[in-house]
Amino acid sequence: MASVQPKIKSKVRCVDGEVGEIAHVIADPISLEVSHIVVRTNGTQRQVPVSTIATVREDSVELRCNASQVADYPELKREDFLTSKEVEIPHLENKVHVEPGDLLVPFPQLEKSCARRNFFTGFIHVIGALIGLPLVWPVLRFIMKPMYAPYDNRWIKIGNVSKIKTDDVGVQFIFKKSFTDSVLLREEDKNHWVIKATPETLKKIYQHGDISFMDEKGDAVWVNKQTVPYVAFAGKCPHLGCGFKWRTHKKRGQVFLCPCHLSIYDSAGKVLDGPAPRPLDVLPIKVSATGEIEIIDVEYKAGKKEQVRIA
Amino acid sequence: MMFLLQKVYDFVDERIDLKTLEAKMMKEPIKGGSRWAYVFGSVLLFIFIMQAVTGVLLMFYYIPSADHAYASTQFIIHEVDYGWFILSYHFWGSSAMVVMVFAHMSQVFLWGAYKSPREMIWLVGLALFGIVMAFGFTGYLLPWDQRAYWATTVGVEIMDKTPVVGDFMARFLKGGPTPGQMTLSRFFVIHVMVLPGALMGLAGLHLFLFRSAGPAGPFRGTSEELKAKTDFFFPRQVWKDIVAMAAVFLTISSLALIEPVVLLEEAKPDPGDYHPEPEWYFLFLFQILRWKVFGGEFGQFLGATAIPAAFMLLLAALPFIDRSPERNIFKRPIALLSWAVVMIGILVLTVSAIINREFLD
Amino acid sequence: MSHPATAISSVKLAWALSWAAFWTGFPFKAIVVLLLLAAQIHPWEGAGLIALLAVSVPIDIWALGLTARTFFLERMGIEVRGPVGIGLWWQGAFLGAVMLGIAYYAVGATVAVCKKAAAVTLGVVNKVIPIPVAEQITIELLMWAVPTTIVVIVLLLLWLKLFGWRIKRFVVASGQASSADLQERVREWDDWRVPADSILMLVSFTAVAVLLTVVFWVLLPVTTTHRHPDYPPPPTDAVKKKVKPEELLKKTDTALAKAEAVLELLEKEKAKEKKKPAGPGK
Repeated sequence: MASVQPKIKSKVRCVDGEVGEIAHVIADPISLEVSHIVVRTNGTQRQVPVSTIATVREDSVELRCNASQVADYPELKREDFLTSKEVEIPHLENKVHVEPGDLLVPFPQLEKSCARRNFFTGFIHVIGALIGLPLVWPVLRFIMKPMYAPYDNRWIKIGNVSKIKTDDVGVQFIFKKSFTDSVLLREEDKNHWVIKATPETLKKIYQHGDISFMDEKGDAVWVNKQTVPYVAFAGKCPHLGCGFKWRTHKKRGQVFLCPCHLSIYDSAGKVLDGPAPRPLDVLPIKVSATGEIEIIDVEYKAGKKEQVRIA
Repeated sequence: MMFLLQKVYDFVDERIDLKTLEAKMMKEPIKGGSRWAYVFGSVLLFIFIMQAVTGVLLMFYYIPSADHAYASTQFIIHEVDYGWFILSYHFWGSSAMVVMVFAHMSQVFLWGAYKSPREMIWLVGLALFGIVMAFGFTGYLLPWDQRAYWATTVGVEIMDKTPVVGDFMARFLKGGPTPGQMTLSRFFVIHVMVLPGALMGLAGLHLFLFRSAGPAGPFRGTSEELKAKTDFFFPRQVWKDIVAMAAVFLTISSLALIEPVVLLEEAKPDPGDYHPEPEWYFLFLFQILRWKVFGGEFGQFLGATAIPAAFMLLLAALPFIDRSPERNIFKRPIALLSWAVVMIGILVLTVSAIINREFLD
Repeated sequence: MSHPATAISSVKLAWALSWAAFWTGFPFKAIVVLLLLAAQIHPWEGAGLIALLAVSVPIDIWALGLTARTFFLERMGIEVRGPVGIGLWWQGAFLGAVMLGIAYYAVGATVAVCKKAAAVTLGVVNKVIPIPVAEQITIELLMWAVPTTIVVIVLLLLWLKLFGWRIKRFVVASGQASSADLQERVREWDDWRVPADSILMLVSFTAVAVLLTVVFWVLLPVTTTHRHPDYPPPPTDAVKKKVKPEELLKKTDTALAKAEAVLELLEKEKAKEKKKPAGPGK
């Protein structure tokens, strides 16, 4: 039934005449609707279900039943009830309006102007936004400072070519790399793979010509030339950055094998099998007269088809 | 755009009764109208938020270890883009907070807004005052330069002299018998976690109690005058609050540019040429302890513990001692005089401490 | 019937206007100061000070006009037609300049005399009762600071009184009593603070503020201007030699050739060693 809003103190009329007035209104806390009215009649308070109400008027309600039937309804047990102000039933006061009128308070004269209110509201929003604004740029730069740090183009000695005994065989070079990490001076164990390539393998590696390496501005830092038979591969698999190994494969013979997702590369770094998106990354390499190998520890973004240098 | 906003508003209103909430929060009529004198509480909230924001940013690069605290602070100043500005804003913001706390307490005191029924607001406010001072004290150590290290060491040593609990308190703060890594770790966690939590909780309570009691309003004016100027908290008082916040923001930024943070050398166990000194808002206490009358063990107890504690207790007891309902400061000569004496006293002692620097060699 | 203007004290009148006008103008001047500082110009000396003072004139005129008009209407029930700010400002500024001039000498003299007197007095007292350093500092400070403060307050009150007297003359000359009641008068001055076209005002305010913010971002130094001596600025990259690929290749070629030559030499020597029998001396 659509919510009925009988007012307290309304007169109650039955089919055959007035019987009394509404003393209380009872609401159902679950449906948030009026369930009963309490009619004060003949010195008693009767709990009358709301279905009995035929019409609700400004100051009276009309019931469908007779006066004698009202007397048959149960008496109110006040101790079984609380007022709505004594409990917190959400939204009850929104849905049920049964008081006789509202409590009034004076409206300040200055607040009557809508233009004033709107102007100052707008002004507050403007100034509020503008207080934060000067900080936006400095804070962004502050947070982003280390995010696009310039590349480390230092030459690092990783070992000697005398360690390489056979052609076209991957030899791991483990070395310590020291670097500044914010204010700390740290050292990390790193590894790369060097092969002494045969001319056929070299041809495969240099099929697109000499390999050049750039810095952030696009200026060349180094160029690897095909005349140098030594090739260094970065020790991180271009798939997702795991460390790979040189292993003997059942079918493919001696290959670079990554244990994480089983990418397989030949001695030229070409992808033979597995999810690797591109061949092994070649590093800038310098071999001194005494056979000392130096490389630049270039790092590329894993998982991408093209080489995107990140460090 | 406005139509969309209205739709969003109605959606939320249906569910949480936003209209009533808005009415309760915003449409609070202020007797005698919104006043610039009432802005200091909101300004304090603003400064706290700015300190939290800049503080969190500093934590992106600061390392709270005795080995790296100094280097990481220097890193922020010299290496990180605008790091010097963020750090200097944080530094001057803390001074601004102390100044505003004094301004806010003075305004409440002079307007008699601590009197019944606002006693609890005043007491919670005193606790907040203590928290602000603790913020300043704990934050000061973090750069770990000579100034930071020695100001803290001297300060904790003074606390050590408190009877009964002094030794325990000092060892708790130092994390041992002597200052070191434990001290830094404790001061760091107190500064970035414990105190912010305490401040937010107590500030919430402070605001709730304030709203329950309602603003005290002006201390003079006929009822006609008060009624004529009455307006709602929103928008006029909020507007005044926000203009004051903007002015404070500009002032702190300017100070950060005029005098950016420059560290001394890294902390070491020997003060060398450096003369230990606390932050400027503790200088008056620092100076008073130089007086002969506060020399010796009893004298130090008097000057460092007894008198400050007695003063704070007096402030706490104030709403219960001062029962007169009179709020007009010009009709409360004792109150006006005591306030003036305390403020001038603090000023004179602070300036004395600055002059005293020349006499230390 | 006495004019309502004469009822209020000159000092109170001038104070009410000046205090309110100062703080009204403050946020705008603070913006100017911040921009000057971002450009690394000191606003308390030289070109910066001149710029700040120049900008303060229109700001103060506007602020004084607004606060004066409000005060006249609400507290004195007087409406003033025509410009108020300009009429009052130059008088306050002129009197202020004169007072500042007097204050410079008066304060200077007071401080010097009192410091001398303090030094002498304390010197004498010290011979009888030795006063410790810390206490002496405070006593000496009070001995010159208190008289100086009194002098400053007296001069300030004098300025306020004179300015207040000028303001009263202005009000009597250009004002008319308002017939509206208090509520009406309060509503009227409150209304002045709402612009006729609030959208236009807000939009242009925002636009200017955003522009100034961008200027601030451009000016603000990225690295600190007060470097610690232990952290000198990094050397400006002397023109980084651009790597020329051909040169690089030539270099590697020559290095390789050298290496091969050395290797050959070593191999030759090794072969010689092998060929040699066990060697003499056996």
